[in-house]
Amino acid sequence: MVILRLAGLALVLVISLLFAVFVGDQGPWYFAWVIGTVMIILISGAGAILFDAQTDDSAESEV
Amino acid sequence: MELYVILKLIWATILCVLLIGLGLMVGMDMGVGTLLRFVGRNDGERRTALNIIGPHWDGNQVWFILGGGAIFAAFPTLYATSFSVFYVVMILLLFSMILRPVAFEYRSKADSKLWRASWDWVFLVSGFLPMFIYGAAFGNILEGVGYHFGWNGQYYQDDSFFSYLLSPFVVLCGLMSVALSVYQGGVMLMLRSENPIYDRAQRYATRGGILAAVLFAIGGVFISRMKGFMMTEPANPAMPANPLHGQHVAHTAGAWLHNFTAHPVLWVLPLLGLTSMVLGTVAVRHNKSVVAWWVGLGSWVGTIGTVAAAMFPFFMPSTTAPDQSLTIWNSCASAYGLTCMLVVALIFVPLILCYTSWCYYVMRGKVRTADIIHDSHSY
Amino acid sequence: MDLINPTVVDLSRFQFALTALYHFMFVPLTLGLTFMLAAMETVYVVTGRKIYKEMAQFWGKLFGINFAIGVATGITMEFEFGTNWSMYSRFFGDMFGTPLAIEGLMAFFMESTFVGLMFFGWDRLSKPAHLAVTYLVALGSNLSALWILVANASMNVPEGAHFDPETMRMQFDSFVHVVFNPDAQSKFVHTSVAGYVSAALFVMGISAFYILRGQHKQFAARSFRMAALFGIISTVAVITLGDVLGRMDYEKQPTKIAAIEGLWHTSKPPYEPWILAALPDDAKQENHFEIGVPFVLTPLIAHDFNTPITGLHELEDAAEPRIRSGIEAVSALRRYGETHQQADLDIFHAHENDMGYGFLATRHAPGQDVTAIPAAALDQVVQETKPDILPNVFVTFWAFRLMVFLALYFFALFAISSYVSLKNKLERNKLLLRLCMWSIPLPILATEFGWITAEAGRQPWTVFNKLPTFMSASTHSVSYMLFSLAGFAVLYSIFIAAELYLMFKFARLGPEAHDTPHDSATPTHLHAVSSAPAAH
Repeated sequence: MVILRLAGLALVLVISLLFAVFVGDQGPWYFAWVIGTVMIILISGAGAILFDAQTDDSAESEV
Repeated sequence: MELYVILKLIWATILCVLLIGLGLMVGMDMGVGTLLRFVGRNDGERRTALNIIGPHWDGNQVWFILGGGAIFAAFPTLYATSFSVFYVVMILLLFSMILRPVAFEYRSKADSKLWRASWDWVFLVSGFLPMFIYGAAFGNILEGVGYHFGWNGQYYQDDSFFSYLLSPFVVLCGLMSVALSVYQGGVMLMLRSENPIYDRAQRYATRGGILAAVLFAIGGVFISRMKGFMMTEPANPAMPANPLHGQHVAHTAGAWLHNFTAHPVLWVLPLLGLTSMVLGTVAVRHNKSVVAWWVGLGSWVGTIGTVAAAMFPFFMPSTTAPDQSLTIWNSCASAYGLTCMLVVALIFVPLILCYTSWCYYVMRGKVRTADIIHDSHSY
Repeated sequence: MDLINPTVVDLSRFQFALTALYHFMFVPLTLGLTFMLAAMETVYVVTGRKIYKEMAQFWGKLFGINFAIGVATGITMEFEFGTNWSMYSRFFGDMFGTPLAIEGLMAFFMESTFVGLMFFGWDRLSKPAHLAVTYLVALGSNLSALWILVANASMNVPEGAHFDPETMRMQFDSFVHVVFNPDAQSKFVHTSVAGYVSAALFVMGISAFYILRGQHKQFAARSFRMAALFGIISTVAVITLGDVLGRMDYEKQPTKIAAIEGLWHTSKPPYEPWILAALPDDAKQENHFEIGVPFVLTPLIAHDFNTPITGLHELEDAAEPRIRSGIEAVSALRRYGETHQQADLDIFHAHENDMGYGFLATRHAPGQDVTAIPAAALDQVVQETKPDILPNVFVTFWAFRLMVFLALYFFALFAISSYVSLKNKLERNKLLLRLCMWSIPLPILATEFGWITAEAGRQPWTVFNKLPTFMSASTHSVSYMLFSLAGFAVLYSIFIAAELYLMFKFARLGPEAHDTPHDSATPTHLHAVSSAPAAH
């Protein structure tokens, strides 16, 4: 089971690497879109989690 | 056979399958829309009926978009000419099609009686009209359309749109398509609803099935007698896709039976259509709604298969310039384009079928009026 | 005689512009809001805090209201190529139809199927499965935009197709060229990210409204934070890609870039100013007044200090030999189409690249037939055709400027909002909150201006340098056009009224009214099933 999972993970990694190399080569802006969108989502999510941390610390939860 | 010819044939077949899928799946939703005011006597019941197709109508409607997209990509000349020649009808179809998504999403989002009653009427119109036009379009192309092409490929229309609407055969085809959609919509309601909706749906599905069978039989008589089209010299299937050259077409009575006479095995198709409609009605009467749903597929295969068998290789014959009639051979895309599209379709269609079935699986089960009223996500 | 009626062409253009602009009011929000929903739900799945689920559901509801009209009005666009642009569809459909069909197969199907599950599947799917569904909806709607913009880019920079005299149309010959067309790439990213900006400001503005009113504070502050950060990065991306598109146009569509900059005469680097405001006069072919910033234009477009940018007058003069050669090409093509003589084909191939300019001249030829131009009248036809190669400078110039000014404003607004939100000082900045609230429609406006810049700047062509807009329309009668225009006007007015009514209604109601009192701790579904027998 563990081996299967690892194999699955490896497959996903290989495919994303191939995808990244191909798209990065042929369509650099498409590649930038993929990376950029992920980054935008992560940063805005991190902002929300930071908000939770900020308001947990201060008893006075000013927004 | 040349590769190009095989590609043309494959795409003509795909188009047929799409038209069948469209008739079946979109027709089903449209049928529910048409029946909405009749199977649901109060707001709760109507919402139940809507939510039965609620999770899937959007995906089904994509069949319709896809039908348009496939014609555009695989048969650009057919797309360009037919959509323009049938302008007024197409615009009406479009109006009723764009009202539907909005009706679904908006109907139950406000409480006013007038608001909901208005959207219920929208469902009736946008269920009935598109199916009527869908059927009528088949009637029109069987009768032939008046148009010709200029030297650069621009089309010119030779008769007004009224002449497309006012033929009894066209009206018959339209009504038959509505009847089939009412049948399929009724069966879908039976599958996923309880009384009192179930009983009413059963009644309407029965009527739809019988009416479709009767109209199909009468339509058959019409087709055998009307002026059809046939090639006077064998066409070259590998011809370049340009309707201006290379065909000789005759416009004569009984020509639509030509293919059936040459290949008697084709009679299977009308037979399949007629038996499916009759058997389906019987299944509905005996509460076998799953069987009835699948038999409904047979009706569509039989109906559209019959039209395709009669017309092959014509798509949209021209009454005023028969030699310029659009056929599978002269209205298609380039070999490169058809190959491209085929590869894409081979990758994505199986994928689509997988996730669509998964969706149905997740949302399976009966829809109850009480659930709907409590669930804030429902239509 | 089959003549093109200019009134019908104008009405067709008007109808297409109207329906496309209308469709495009709803699309950007869909493109961005889906990814914002995905971001919110991601936080919910990672932290397990229910407030993020409420956020995803509430904004999801507003998304649904918007999505329905986006889908509905999109159907119009697919129809209209056939119903109103018959010649265009026949001429270019072999290539153009492919991305549209792929859009249906690959993206639209995915988006539409999963959007049902996204709304209805909360209680039927596991948390990660539902999250995956939300991501698929987001990906689907953006892939949809990708294919549409690939198609659109092929009109602006036709690559991957060539004209074939046998079939009298453009034959598709390279899928890779079409998909990886640099114009398509930057157009897609620019448009998709512009959608992110619209959605971010939409969420930020409504959240600001709640904070101002002191309602749903926890909910609104979190939404505001996420939206502000989402928006600031997106705005940077939108501006970057806008710059890339500008450089692309400079190479591939010089008339568009000259019109955008209101540049009547070739620029003199490095001094040439970038015009901030002017009053371009298309009839007199000059600007009535100009306010500019010196030394900016050349580096802005060419990214160096010494490349001259060709002006509109010079472009017009450069077109003259192409028009003459194009007339030869079209005449030969017509003769070839009728008689199939090899000699005519040879003449055509010699002038093939200028064919579009020959089509452009048909409008000024006697009986709209270039073969019928008498030798004595040739010069006059060429002179009359010359100004036709320019787009409307006033419209292109101002649409572009308004878009840019708005983008800079968003940049400032998001930057300040992010800062204030990160400092948790929103409540003290009432003015900022009001500004956010009133700015909700502005990104929609900016994307519309962007669309006008791109498409008005493409004129007079539907397929750049190949097929003029004038020849592309269907040969309808004026009454047909009036019928459809009236229908669109009525229907679309009803739609916008219904949409705004519901949007305001649900935005005012706020997130709490949206969930049942039991919330998701007791799934509404189970709750309802237990009371189901009462319905019989």
